[in-house]
Amino acid sequence: MMDLRVPSGWFFTLLGLIVLGMGIFAPDARAALTDVNVNLYSGAAMLVFGLFLLLMAYRGSRSRT
Amino acid sequence: MKLAPIDYFILALYFVFVLGIGWRLRKKISTSGDFLLSGHAVPVWITSLAFIAANLGAQELIGMSASGAKYGIMTAHFYWIGAIPAILFMGIFMMPFYYGSKARSVPEYLKMRFDEKTRAFNAFTFAVMTIFSSGISMYALGLLLHLVLGWDFSTSVICSAAIVLIYTFLGGLTSAIYNEVLQFLLIVAGFSPLAILSISKAGGWQGIAARVKPEWVHAWKYLGSASANPMGVEVFGMVAGLGFVLSFGYWCTNFLVVQRAMAARDMSSARRTPLIGAFPKMFIPFIVILPGIAALALSKMGLGYDLPLKPEGGVDYNQVITTLMGKFYPAGILGVGLTGLMASFMSGMAGNVTAFNTVWTYDIYQSYIKPGAPDRHYLNVGRATTVVGVLLSIGAAYAATRYNNIMDLLQLVFGFVNAPLFATFLLGMFWKRATASGAFTGLITGTLTAALTWSLTVAEGKGGVLGVMHEFPSVMAQNFWIAILAWTSCFVVTIAVSLMTRPRPAKELEGLVYGLTKIGGDPGAKWYQRPAPLAVVISIVVILLNIWFA
Repeated sequence: MMDLRVPSGWFFTLLGLIVLGMGIFAPDARAALTDVNVNLYSGAAMLVFGLFLLLMAYRGSRSRT
Repeated sequence: MKLAPIDYFILALYFVFVLGIGWRLRKKISTSGDFLLSGHAVPVWITSLAFIAANLGAQELIGMSASGAKYGIMTAHFYWIGAIPAILFMGIFMMPFYYGSKARSVPEYLKMRFDEKTRAFNAFTFAVMTIFSSGISMYALGLLLHLVLGWDFSTSVICSAAIVLIYTFLGGLTSAIYNEVLQFLLIVAGFSPLAILSISKAGGWQGIAARVKPEWVHAWKYLGSASANPMGVEVFGMVAGLGFVLSFGYWCTNFLVVQRAMAARDMSSARRTPLIGAFPKMFIPFIVILPGIAALALSKMGLGYDLPLKPEGGVDYNQVITTLMGKFYPAGILGVGLTGLMASFMSGMAGNVTAFNTVWTYDIYQSYIKPGAPDRHYLNVGRATTVVGVLLSIGAAYAATRYNNIMDLLQLVFGFVNAPLFATFLLGMFWKRATASGAFTGLITGTLTAALTWSLTVAEGKGGVLGVMHEFPSVMAQNFWIAILAWTSCFVVTIAVSLMTRPRPAKELEGLVYGLTKIGGDPGAKWYQRPAPLAVVISIVVILLNIWFA
């Protein structure tokens, strides 16, 4: 059966890269009430989470073989 | 609120992934069991998150943030005395019978334990109810997207339904469950930044408490009398009505959620599914209810945030969460937030569709329309039912746009049917003397009691069609008391009729009833893999949360 950590990991890695990219290249994009660079922090968090899932999936597949 | 191209790109990326997961899982389907029951092969962390996600529909996200602004932290009772104790009970005490009986659905368990008529009653009402609730949530989503983004109602309803149809049609329950996990993670990713931003902007919990009325920041303190709190509910109605009858009724007997646990690999995983799911469930109030209360506080701070209004006047609480997103999210994370909202809608809808599928195919079609056909036939029926179920839901969504009153009436009737159900299951699983006639008479009496209570009492102008014997301070209090009376009458009548009818021989009840079922232990399981220690940890945390927000 498919290891769900692989597609979810890729999804969050890509999502994280996009949102983090927004945070880096458009740091002044702010909504009316935000004072911080939301894209930067949440993008980084999603990227880390995505990579973590991929790492777990990789370790899981190695221990099975 | 306007979306940037990047936000549409994120939405599109999500669609690609959900469809891709469905596509990858399509080859695994060779029997009706693979399609409708996942072949009992799903890992426990996946069933656990799906267990929570199937219930975390768009209506829950929109509705809980709305209630946060409208009633304050008391809304958290839906979780901390409602869902969590019920989920624990389900995992520890009820799952052994659901999973151990080898029933394929909740109605099928009722047939094994009692008889055909109880199953038929439950299967038919459940099937109709799932279609309507998926239609109503589709309607709510279409309406919200139209109001907030100006999207065309038909386009958003039909597109999102089509995506759910494709991935459930391809991969069946497995695909729905796998996607529910992705959807759950996305909901958390899309909503938690909003919670952090809105709460800290409002000055943290202290800042919120300084700006709103004290009733909004205490879950227990003002429950002494119904007139002291915004919900208009007193402590007995809350604990017995919501905490006991309604929540146990939902989490322990609703096939939509029970089905996720039944898809687990083995008994131990099936029992742990609700328990592991309870951990994230406890903290969902932080990302849905607290932002609602923060919105109320922010609206009093003169920062340029006002609670959304209806065109005809009055606050439109259902738009609280989306207006917050508009004020706090720039392009990029805004796409994630809205995709999270879409994801919640899809997880709720897929949950309804897959549960409808199984009940229709096994409990109605195979039992009453065409029994004894080869399995291949039921697989095809299951697939066809997916299409029909989605089409019927779309129809129900459109019906909701025209005949709002009929929808309200239907929801009311479903409430009557559901209220007594938990008494039937409780007696069925824990009292071997309960008989089929007792259960059926009890269920019917309970449903009628619910209808009668509603017809004889009034709250906010609702009910009282046969006369007014009592007036409730709020519709919520009325609902809780209807549930209490329905449950009690079902419980009493089931016992009375059971004692008058002939009991079933104990031999036939093995695996179905407490005391006649061997519940195997888990030799070799570590402590955190066993249900009881998990439940203790969850109970401690949930008690602390209750004290913290008392």
